[in-house]
Amino acid sequence: MINLTRRHFFRTGAAGIGIPALASLLQADTGGLEGLPHFPPKAKRVIYLHQSGAPSQLDLFDYKPALGKLHGTELPATIRMGQRITGMTSGQSSFPVTKSIFKFAQHGQSGAWLSELLPHTSKIVDDISIVRTTNTEAINHDPAITFIQTGSQQPGRPSFGSWVTYGLGSENQNLPSFVVLIAQSSAINTDQPLFSRLWGNGFLPSKYQGVNFRASGDPVLYLSDPAGIDKATRRRMLDGIGKLNEMNAATYGDPEIETRIAQYEMAYRMQTSVPELMDLSKESQSTFDLYGPDSRKPGSYASHCLLARRLAERGVRFIQVYKRGWDQHNDLPRDLALQCQSVDQPSAALIADLKQRGLLDDTLVIWGGEFGRTVYCQGKLMDGNYGRDHHPRCFTTWMAGGGIKPGQTYGETDDFSYNVVADPVHVHDVQATILRCLGIDHKRLTFKFQGRHFRLTDVAGQVVDKLMS
Amino acid sequence: MRKAVLTLLFTSASAFAAIDFDREIRPILSDKCFSCHGPDAAKRMANLRFDTADGGAFSNSVIVPGKAADSHLFARISATGPNRMPPVSSGRTLTPQQIAALKQWIDEGAKWQSHWAFISPQRPATPAAKEPNWTRNPIDNFVLARLDQEGLKHSPEADKTTLLRRVTYDLTGLPPTVAELNAFLADKSPDAYEKRVDTLLQSPRYGERMAMQWLDLARYADTHGYHIDSHREMWHWRDWVIDAFNKNKPYDQFTVEQIAGDLLPNATLEQKLASGFNRNHMINFEGGAIPEEYLVEYVVDRLEATSTTWMGLTMGCARCHDHKYDPIPQRDFYRFFAFFNNVSEKGLDGRNGNAEPFLQLPSEQQKARQAELKAAISAHEKALPEDTVSAQQTAWEKAEFAKFQTMARDGLQAHYEFDGNLTDSSGHYQYGRVLKGDLTYANAAVDRGADFDGQTQAVFSHVPAFDNNKPFSAAFWLKVNGKLKDPVLSQGQFQLWLDDFELSGVQQRVPRLYVQLGAQQFRTRDRLPWPDNMNHVAVNYTGAGAFTVYVNGKPVGTEPVAGAQPDAKTNPDAPLEINFFKGRLDDLRIYNRTLDPREIAYLGGQEPLRAILNILPDKRAKDQKAWIRDYYLSKAAPAPDQRAWAELKALREDEKKLTAEIPTTMIMSEIVPSDVVPSNKEKPRETFILARGDYRNQTEKVTPGVPSVLPPLPTGAPDNRLGLARWLVDPANPLTARVAVNRFWQYYFGTGIVKTLENFGSQGDPPSNQQLLDWLATEFIGTNWDVKAMQRLIVTSAAYRQASRVTPELLEKDPENRLIARGPRFRLSAEMVRDGELYLSGLLKEQVGGASVDPYQPKGVWEEIAYGDGFTSQTYQQGHGDDLHRRSLYTFWKRTAPPPEMTTFDAPDREKCAARRTITNTPLQALVLLNDTTYVEAARSLAERMLLEGGKTPAARLDYGFRLATARAPQPRELAVLRETLNAELLDYKRHEDRAQALLKNGEAPVNPTLDKSELAAWTTVASMLLNLDETITKQ
Repeated sequence: MINLTRRHFFRTGAAGIGIPALASLLQADTGGLEGLPHFPPKAKRVIYLHQSGAPSQLDLFDYKPALGKLHGTELPATIRMGQRITGMTSGQSSFPVTKSIFKFAQHGQSGAWLSELLPHTSKIVDDISIVRTTNTEAINHDPAITFIQTGSQQPGRPSFGSWVTYGLGSENQNLPSFVVLIAQSSAINTDQPLFSRLWGNGFLPSKYQGVNFRASGDPVLYLSDPAGIDKATRRRMLDGIGKLNEMNAATYGDPEIETRIAQYEMAYRMQTSVPELMDLSKESQSTFDLYGPDSRKPGSYASHCLLARRLAERGVRFIQVYKRGWDQHNDLPRDLALQCQSVDQPSAALIADLKQRGLLDDTLVIWGGEFGRTVYCQGKLMDGNYGRDHHPRCFTTWMAGGGIKPGQTYGETDDFSYNVVADPVHVHDVQATILRCLGIDHKRLTFKFQGRHFRLTDVAGQVVDKLMS
Repeated sequence: MRKAVLTLLFTSASAFAAIDFDREIRPILSDKCFSCHGPDAAKRMANLRFDTADGGAFSNSVIVPGKAADSHLFARISATGPNRMPPVSSGRTLTPQQIAALKQWIDEGAKWQSHWAFISPQRPATPAAKEPNWTRNPIDNFVLARLDQEGLKHSPEADKTTLLRRVTYDLTGLPPTVAELNAFLADKSPDAYEKRVDTLLQSPRYGERMAMQWLDLARYADTHGYHIDSHREMWHWRDWVIDAFNKNKPYDQFTVEQIAGDLLPNATLEQKLASGFNRNHMINFEGGAIPEEYLVEYVVDRLEATSTTWMGLTMGCARCHDHKYDPIPQRDFYRFFAFFNNVSEKGLDGRNGNAEPFLQLPSEQQKARQAELKAAISAHEKALPEDTVSAQQTAWEKAEFAKFQTMARDGLQAHYEFDGNLTDSSGHYQYGRVLKGDLTYANAAVDRGADFDGQTQAVFSHVPAFDNNKPFSAAFWLKVNGKLKDPVLSQGQFQLWLDDFELSGVQQRVPRLYVQLGAQQFRTRDRLPWPDNMNHVAVNYTGAGAFTVYVNGKPVGTEPVAGAQPDAKTNPDAPLEINFFKGRLDDLRIYNRTLDPREIAYLGGQEPLRAILNILPDKRAKDQKAWIRDYYLSKAAPAPDQRAWAELKALREDEKKLTAEIPTTMIMSEIVPSDVVPSNKEKPRETFILARGDYRNQTEKVTPGVPSVLPPLPTGAPDNRLGLARWLVDPANPLTARVAVNRFWQYYFGTGIVKTLENFGSQGDPPSNQQLLDWLATEFIGTNWDVKAMQRLIVTSAAYRQASRVTPELLEKDPENRLIARGPRFRLSAEMVRDGELYLSGLLKEQVGGASVDPYQPKGVWEEIAYGDGFTSQTYQQGHGDDLHRRSLYTFWKRTAPPPEMTTFDAPDREKCAARRTITNTPLQALVLLNDTTYVEAARSLAERMLLEGGKTPAARLDYGFRLATARAPQPRELAVLRETLNAELLDYKRHEDRAQALLKNGEAPVNPTLDKSELAAWTTVASMLLNLDETITKQ
């Protein structure tokens, strides 16, 4: 694509560059791959609400009444089946089965079971697909989150958002096409770190890396003019730079110079469009009420959900939200409740808000962590307090919106929420399915690196038709 | 599209010339057919392969040479419907041009060649030059011959200014100064350019510039990379690389020392250090991770980095199965793996800095100090002769033992001695349990004590709950290692912790002790001068709202803290718990009464002594012996002995501190079998083929070996890393020299002769000029791998010296300049952009080597994603002074949050070996250059230079600034643009002096006080424009 544009420029633009030409340059430069989408897309963009640390499916979504009677008994070997477990509990002499302390009830037309920690999510169950059988191969945070976000446990691959923007390009002239928002933990125990590789470009060109919109300081690194430079001065400087670059373009004939001119204009537009985006002051009171009291606090998960909607409205292709703090090895009842307090309402509000604005039809929302948590207690099981270790074999993820069948609970796990009994959905299947909703055949979105045609889904991945509308 | 254009370029010749199998046919077969009809035996379909000539391609009319129409291959690829190859399910399709090329190739006789890269380069004859006046060295003859083949012409030579700027950036990473330029322009001798090149090659900056690329290959960084991503120290290795380039270490030695420096006979410290190339990989210590899994990942990383860097092979693709494209069976992968597997390392390591194995590297000063301390210690030890001291101590012990009383046990509810378990010795059998993590025991105050690592959780379920209305006492020995604020003890509504809420003096964190019970909170009035060893703490609660605290047997004042809130969520009956605490505890006693001050004095003073005296001298552990010796010599010995002992202890403490300060660097180190070195307990590691690449699936055992498609190890070479290193630099190796010269070529021309620097296999791009590549490779070997000579050869060629102006025709035909019909023009690397602008603005602080530095970085880049307290490199501490303006290869590199101003300009994240960077052009780059403090400060500094050094008139000053930025003189119309902005800004800043002041405050470099602020501000904006010009950040 780039070369076509460059050549186009060369022919028409050697003597100078007009605004319409600039616009077309940007358009082309932000375009996706030829031949994509492969299918008519149902979703145009993705909001990925990643719950970092791994929320307990047993205490939120995967209701296991049978555990009531088994509480405190040893996990049967027939269930564990030699599954490897982390170094944190592998030395434990006892693996006591632990029921959830939280009450479950059925909700909506679909009758989905949810725990009392999710009163707001319970109101949107008919809009979402709850997948109880998501599964992964990794058992520690670093490899697991790297796997779910890049398709490989080891670093080096492009992130999900990079793949999507590489394939589909941008729909927006003023904002990056892949935006990252990070909300800190609400739990008391220490949370897990994140890594910039999770939104990195891997071996794709660096323009596909996610841009972190930060809650404090400049929302985008280096966005603000330095102290002492006002808008008029900045404009005069940019005009001067543009003129000088044009003169040089005429001398050297290198289309890279034209691109640079265009990128300086894009940077200037971002200086307006990003603060406008981040400024929530024009949102209505009813919107704040919908997302909850935290939504006025910059950096909170609630304000990030609201921002995610604003980004979706502006056509940003991939919006990656992280909520830290879900790693409940101990004090689960306390810390899980704290996490849900800050996450439940805004997550549900985002779905409701997208829906009322007609955006849910072409926006795919996904909510989930990097693995699940064990049915057995980490450490000693006590009255009213317990913790759960990492569990890769099944965990719950929900999806909603563009292309996703609403109002279903998908997949079955055993009585211990330990093994999948029916309809497993591997991490690569989730990725394949999301890409399919975006109109992409996951086997054909490739990038040749080191001689190999790499894919987000590596050498696996099956589209889960039953999840799609 | 770029690829399509290229293909067009190289196939355009085929319309009138015979098709070239290596360049045009193998890439198609490889990319479209090999995955099912290639080297991977397990996935091969129809027992047919196209990667070799004898794999069925020429049997059964698959290919009938000369007759495409009779060939099944052609029939299948040109079929429509279900018969079509490649099948729809493969996701691959052939373009009409590719089908036509295959047809033409078959019709022309289907000539087959083995893959070029696996055959040793033969020195080609230099083609006769059609333009002998143009060619300067054989490179030019090859370039010209290739241009001729494509019907293209070379470009004229670039003007001297452009050329000097180009070559100065290329060889040193920095632009020329105005004086250097003027001298060069004035030098009319025919070899003026060559003389300049020789000077540049002698500059220490040359080594820094060459090291930049090497650091990407070596995935060099200052942190471990996985998970918590804390600090490591490898800068000595980085400095070794710079030094090696500056000393022009021949590439074969450079290679051998980095692959196997530790295995060289009588290896020097430097040679061992060099082997750190293969310790730069990421290292993990995530809690709960499985060591065996990571041991495999480390070795795979070494294999990938080594095969990419030296061999241009993607061997990593054969980890799970036979390579899909190149003749590398999975077995070859694991034989290569075995070279790097026998390292004395742990799977999980690095928590406290460098991971084993590592080397200590004292500076000269430190070595001297070590010797000095050693002498002083030995002198003091002589003053305390063992025989005398021992005899006196024994006499004292006897007298002391007779005096002992035992501590009253009245009201003792629980007593944990922590002597190896959580047994309760109060007689109540209230044993504790470890719920999470590990507890380790080490000699402490009273016999042994328990070490909590911050992840350990221990619960003492049946200790009666503390009650507001009842008296109690808790006494214990304590040493805190981790962060304060986390409770030492907690039980229901009771908590005890240390907090250093305020700093006392400069970074001196001195804590107070806090206790809380329900809504009552007390703290020690004074900060505790908390020494580094164990301290005894006793807390008395009267049952009526008052706490008293004793430290080391003595009462310390307490004060109530107002406004404390009881923790409403906690069950008052929750068990006594130790969680999150990081440190050592010993002799924890809980009483249901308050303790008498004398009892406390006893617990904090004589109890430890009693415990040891109770043990017969020859049964005491080493630590216990040391403890009692210390007690005796500190408190009971004759005064001169006490003095000598105090001094000796201080000296030993100094020695310990010094050792901690001595830097280390990670190295490779082989496990030696115990039949060679009997003292060695570690068993050499065996290597197995891992099915599907998974550490759990060990199958066949293998020994070290090189890929079977390449020549064998040289005769007599050992089958270890040293043998491998010698094999790599053996002149018969078809890859090493080609890969190296190809990389050098890319430094100068932006694209390699083989574009895929990392892949010379069948999926790699074919060389644009193989004759040239092979000539350079054989030349490199022939000059005994002389690296500087190779750089000189390239930059003194006429090809390199061409002007970089591009015509529409040339852009259409060769957009990437693969054929070198013009000089190179592309954006500078991330490091060169920053270094160049710091240099021309007068801010760069040059100093070769040293620990990495922390220049300006926006707040929160690390903190937003980091783990937090308790580990290194979690919060960014910006440096000051010179640290702000060092060259970029010295910037601290945290892998999970690399320096944004570097990654924005396409620097890789250094998690894995990276052979080349793509060059992008993004709005974020504009934001960095316009707004990053580094560049705003540089603009101000450049403005000062323009005002102070640029002459009297605005025109002269602008002219000077423009020359500093671009090396050339501005044209009048360019000056006019700058002048226009300058005038507007002068007016503006005169009117708004406050804004001028604000602008000048960006950055920490001092502002020249003699300059008018408004004027300087206006010039700063113009300087910033100069720093933002495409030309300034481009080599052209």
